[in-house]
Amino acid sequence: MRRLLILMLCALLAIVASTADAQTKKSGKRRATARKSAKKAGKKTSTTKKPKLPPLKTSADKQKFLAIIRDSMPVRRAGSNIRYTPLDLDRSLEYRVGRDRSYAPLIDDERFVRRVHLDLVGRPPSGTEVRKFVADTTSSKRPRLIDQLLTTEAYARKWARYWKDVIFFESTANRNRTNPKALEDWLTGQFKKGASWDAIVAELVSAMPVRDKKKKKEKNDWSQKTGQNNFVLAYENKPPLLAAQTARLFMGISIQCAECHDHPFDKWKREQFHELAAFFSRGKYYMPNLDNPAKKTEMKPKFLLGEQPPVKLTTHQRRVAIAAYLVYNQDNYWFARSFVNRIWNELVGDGFYAVDSLGPDQECLHPSVVNRIAAVFRYRKFDPRWVFRLLLNSRAYQRDIQSIDNDEDLFTAVRPIRLNSAQVKSSVLRLTGANRNIGRSVEREFRFDPSIPQRDLEGTVQQALFLMNNPTLQNKLNQSKLKKRLVNVKQPRRLLTQLYLAVLSRQPTDNEYARGQKHLRAVPDRAEAVEDLIWVLVNSTEFLTKR
Amino acid sequence: MIHSHSPTLSSMPLSRRQALGLSAASLLAPLGLHAEQIKKQQRACILVWLAGAPSQMETWDPKPGTGNGGPTKAIKTALPGVSIAEHWPQMAKALGNVAIIRSMVGKEAAHARGTYHLHTGRRLGGPEKHPNFGSVVAAELGDTNSELPNFVSVGQTLSSGFLGVNVAPFIVNRAGQLPANVSTAVASPRVSRRLALLKAQDADLSKAGAASLVEEHRVLYERARRLMTSPKLKSFKLDGEPAARQQAYGKNPFGQGLLVARRLVEAGVPFVEVRRGGWDMHNSLFTRIKPAAAQVDRGVASLLDDLKRRGLLERTLVIVAGEFGRTPKVNSKSPAPGRDHWARSFGLMLAGAGIRGGHVVGKTSANGQEVVDRAVSVEDLFQTICSAMKIDADKELFTPGGRPLKIVDGGKPISEILG
Repeated sequence: MRRLLILMLCALLAIVASTADAQTKKSGKRRATARKSAKKAGKKTSTTKKPKLPPLKTSADKQKFLAIIRDSMPVRRAGSNIRYTPLDLDRSLEYRVGRDRSYAPLIDDERFVRRVHLDLVGRPPSGTEVRKFVADTTSSKRPRLIDQLLTTEAYARKWARYWKDVIFFESTANRNRTNPKALEDWLTGQFKKGASWDAIVAELVSAMPVRDKKKKKEKNDWSQKTGQNNFVLAYENKPPLLAAQTARLFMGISIQCAECHDHPFDKWKREQFHELAAFFSRGKYYMPNLDNPAKKTEMKPKFLLGEQPPVKLTTHQRRVAIAAYLVYNQDNYWFARSFVNRIWNELVGDGFYAVDSLGPDQECLHPSVVNRIAAVFRYRKFDPRWVFRLLLNSRAYQRDIQSIDNDEDLFTAVRPIRLNSAQVKSSVLRLTGANRNIGRSVEREFRFDPSIPQRDLEGTVQQALFLMNNPTLQNKLNQSKLKKRLVNVKQPRRLLTQLYLAVLSRQPTDNEYARGQKHLRAVPDRAEAVEDLIWVLVNSTEFLTKR
Repeated sequence: MIHSHSPTLSSMPLSRRQALGLSAASLLAPLGLHAEQIKKQQRACILVWLAGAPSQMETWDPKPGTGNGGPTKAIKTALPGVSIAEHWPQMAKALGNVAIIRSMVGKEAAHARGTYHLHTGRRLGGPEKHPNFGSVVAAELGDTNSELPNFVSVGQTLSSGFLGVNVAPFIVNRAGQLPANVSTAVASPRVSRRLALLKAQDADLSKAGAASLVEEHRVLYERARRLMTSPKLKSFKLDGEPAARQQAYGKNPFGQGLLVARRLVEAGVPFVEVRRGGWDMHNSLFTRIKPAAAQVDRGVASLLDDLKRRGLLERTLVIVAGEFGRTPKVNSKSPAPGRDHWARSFGLMLAGAGIRGGHVVGKTSANGQEVVDRAVSVEDLFQTICSAMKIDADKELFTPGGRPLKIVDGGKPISEILG
């Protein structure tokens, strides 16, 4: 495979070592101002040859230290001038997919405005928003809308929720010891302020939640209120689970099979899994012997590509080390790529590979394209918004939908995508008005694992039953502002325009006008006719689909 | 080689959904077996879940006259030489149809973990969310085209885990009522009118590039509509059950739940769970056990009797179990003593589907603290259940990550109670 990171292969060992030096020098400078730190620094400068790491016990210390490693990453400086535009992306992708293939046309403004709202802010646009956008005649309105939505709180919340769901969906931790909402809130804050993906992941992975001894009497305080502790808590602070999930969620690599045996389809060996797990252990880490439970082998922490800490580390330092090997590691191209692949998968309906079960490298589709995006993502300091801007402004994203049945057709069109529970909830509640009962039912019935590929997702009979018959939902729709407004619209065409804009965020087609008018004529009771029409649109496939 | 890790479409031999859709019935169909015939051979299972963990010494393994036995007396049963706790007079008469296991050895003594272990056969905490066994049965034995769901639970239960939504438990909160959202508020002609408009609406989207989603949507709505209009829907209700029978099962939510379970099994549902909570008796056990046991005693005995008379018992497995047992030593909690969590020795009950009745498996020591004969692990139990249900316990299920997992990992069936 073509390695795109041509920059020097400086082992993290060296980074960690030089960072330790930098840290001591820096602390040295501060000596004049802070007496306490001067004492510490004094101790450090005495051991000059062997890098000695600070204890890194607090989250703040960890982040400070990781930030130093981050700034010392040579690629940051070397790659900062590289340009990679949506057009570059489309050209290389279309070259790989085949220029002679037939591509779906680009979508019109109405479709674009709904799609981009659902993707960035998790709700469909209002009728007014649609009309305003369509009426806008300036040429750069699509990039501008993207930019504008990326600055909203709703964007931060939407993607915070996505990652919270991704992290928690496989969690079997005791619910009293985790706080998914705190994680979502913390992530929202991070995305809102434009935090970089490396910093976010490093903080999640290096967290070392401890049970507050002073609060022991208060039940269940596992520091889960601190949002960033919840990745570790979701996997119960257990080394094998954290190893498997770190690889799955942040590298897109499935290595959990290797817990018990060498991976059947991939290169991972059982030892590698346990060496990775050793980073998360509190003390020494042992690999169990499956044939003889009495026998076990001590494993030293070693990252998947063979990187090993140069010195013996404490529990806290090991967490920082795994975060650094994962995130600030030029050889670990999986880290950047798995983020790009997940976002791509969410936006277009298919990834370049299954988001969390990447097998051997050759199973990645069009690797040169996704690797290139991943590399530039790194040069852009892992700025999530850069990825969104790149993808959303591309033709690849703005194409029309098509049912895709084979690999050759991937990325010649966009796969119609099932809305997730939050998107369905906002679509429903904007018609009924706020209602806890309905909101909860939707959350329960429409929940699915965000890591399952779209093509494998299924709806349920309960979902259909809910939308067809749920008494609260039907009542609220029948008494909704929308219905009351529509009943008073005399002219059928105007009525239908307002209806379609409100429910599906678009104008009706000629066919739909004709059908709707026929229905309004056939049913003498206008209220009844309007109820029917609302019911039909709420139960339509399109209502639940990003098209 | 099955390459389930492959990200590509064409190289995937079976997608997740295809793999789940292949039920036993659909595989047998081409062999010329008539649907009714298949149904006759088809196994079903009713799990009576005693949430909170019932005490073994107040159920199937009393120790009267010993220090640990407490005030609980033993009564004679239909089996010579076998006694059970005094709270179970009707079950005592029914033991000829029942196998009792007195030597369960569990590993989990916390409610969530024990519930998981006894519902999935796996211990909580691995990288996978294992499916509720009811979902496994629904996937293996369920008819994908049936009007009724293939796994119904009266009361909350564990999810279908990695097996996905199609075999998830269909939860009914109150026995004797129709499930949520199956009745329409509008008259039938209006429903038809709406569905006709819906069809036209979706046809447009289908042409616009979403053919496969529209087709799936149509199938779901058809299934929803079939359930709504199904004559079998009445299985959820008790209309037509004679008052005497309703009385026999017990006029309480649990008893009526069992009656609904029988009706659902009769209508072809392969797995029904009925939950009865309140067994976590850390204190006041010896008074609280009475009403709880009376309900379950009466209900389960009536269920077995009813199933037998209808010829359903030979194909229906009935399991009565909780998540673990309770400490043989009586504690000194106030206001009155009880027993705490204990997984090292506990009991449960199996009947039907070829399980040999009149059999007692295993033995505990006089003080009830050790299993002294024929220890049965949770894995052994699941092997036994699979064997009775005619499900291949070694079959591999695939997780979304492509990891193959056997339905049951390890253990051996309790051969002496299998017919």
